[in-house]
Amino acid sequence: MINIALPKGRLGVRVYKLFEEAGYEFTGILDNNRKLVFENKNLDMRCFWVKPFDVPVYVERGTADIGCAGKDILLERSPDVYELADLKTGFCRMAVAAKNDFIDDESKILRVATEFPNIAQNYYSSQGREIDIITLRGSLELAPVLGLSDVIVDIVETGTTLRENNLHVINYIADLSARLIANKSAYKFKCAIIDEIIKKLCSN
Amino acid sequence: MLEKINLQLRPEEIAALNLRELYGQYGYSFYRMSRFEEYDFYADKKDFLTTGKILTFTDINGKLMALRPDVTLSIIKHIKEIPGQVQKFFYDEKIYRVPKNANNFRELSQVGIEFIGALDSKNIHEIIDLAIKSLQILSNGRRYVLDIADAGLIAKFITHNKRAIMKCISGKNIHGLRDLNAPDEIIKLMTGENIPAELEKIKTFYPDIINIDFSAVTNLNYYNGIIFRGFIEGVPDSILSGGQYDNLLHSMGYKYSQAMGFAVYLDSLEAVIN
Repeated sequence: MINIALPKGRLGVRVYKLFEEAGYEFTGILDNNRKLVFENKNLDMRCFWVKPFDVPVYVERGTADIGCAGKDILLERSPDVYELADLKTGFCRMAVAAKNDFIDDESKILRVATEFPNIAQNYYSSQGREIDIITLRGSLELAPVLGLSDVIVDIVETGTTLRENNLHVINYIADLSARLIANKSAYKFKCAIIDEIIKKLCSN
Repeated sequence: MLEKINLQLRPEEIAALNLRELYGQYGYSFYRMSRFEEYDFYADKKDFLTTGKILTFTDINGKLMALRPDVTLSIIKHIKEIPGQVQKFFYDEKIYRVPKNANNFRELSQVGIEFIGALDSKNIHEIIDLAIKSLQILSNGRRYVLDIADAGLIAKFITHNKRAIMKCISGKNIHGLRDLNAPDEIIKLMTGENIPAELEKIKTFYPDIINIDFSAVTNLNYYNGIIFRGFIEGVPDSILSGGQYDNLLHSMGYKYSQAMGFAVYLDSLEAVIN
């Protein structure tokens, strides 16, 4: 039995479609219902939706043998797992954005709003800049608009939301995409089947 | 025998006693030490610790003390180098660490061995053999594997961006290594295109149990040669880890010796027992 953790939401749907194209189908998984666990007895596989931030937790603790997570979440949580493949979907970037008229005063502590405090801290530590991190759970664009923060560190896909709020990217931190991760111990004992899944997912 | 007189031992305690018997049979002698060290000792040696978090307290003389986060450092500190002679110890101790993902200190049980002296291939094979026998004792009938690699080779080839490259190595992240322009030699070791003869030879002793896998390489400050990690099916973390650690030895003032050892983390055993 292979247990697979998929991230709820848009990225998860994209990733699931890769599984489906590769021949790993879970009936009813894309239906709009509250079911969370889907099993395919023929494949001897089980798939479940979890919050994107929790995918590495399920995998690290071995409840899931493999999982799919955005690189943003792996950078933020640094889980002790294998990152076996770049699934080449869900491309976006981690970026620093600010109001269009923002001028950085380097003599001040920079106020940074983000959902990714570790990524923000590592980035600014590498630049030797002292920052004040404000951890938020969404609607980041509001923070600089209302003056809660000077900049935000967030995922940028097309930049439309930023533009609509008179914000723009001032620096890119990392390229992001969906990654396939595996529990280290599970991979030792299910290596053949996990490698086969990766091969099929990446050949499309 | 012990079970018959109903000591109500927990499975991990029985496992520890079995391991102690095994190490004794191989000529290792029991080493017992204090659970406390002066805090300064760890502040000096923090490169060799996997954790920066140390539980401290003040003793009756006002000296800042630490509850030991690691056993090997203490053994190396307390014994004396005897040039030309081999010293073999095993221990069964508690250590105090914040496990990954935990938010406070925990007391963890660790059993392990240390070999200090001239290491030849015969000694190395004996230590690997003991690691595998330990896994067998702990496995409770489940499958187990031992990943082996050579930390010295990674240290030799790694030139730039060490932290990011080491992270990709432990995560088997080949695409990440390519993005970082990691040296070709490292990528070939990771993908198995290049398999060092020395490791190939070790693998022949237990071909079904030993994997040559460079993701086992961690902490180049500590390890400099053969490095290994044991896994048991159903236990999400590695349960055994060890290797050759001359770097640590030399930083503690040893001049002539080499050292190799491993530790078994008994607290992970629960998954196997249930």
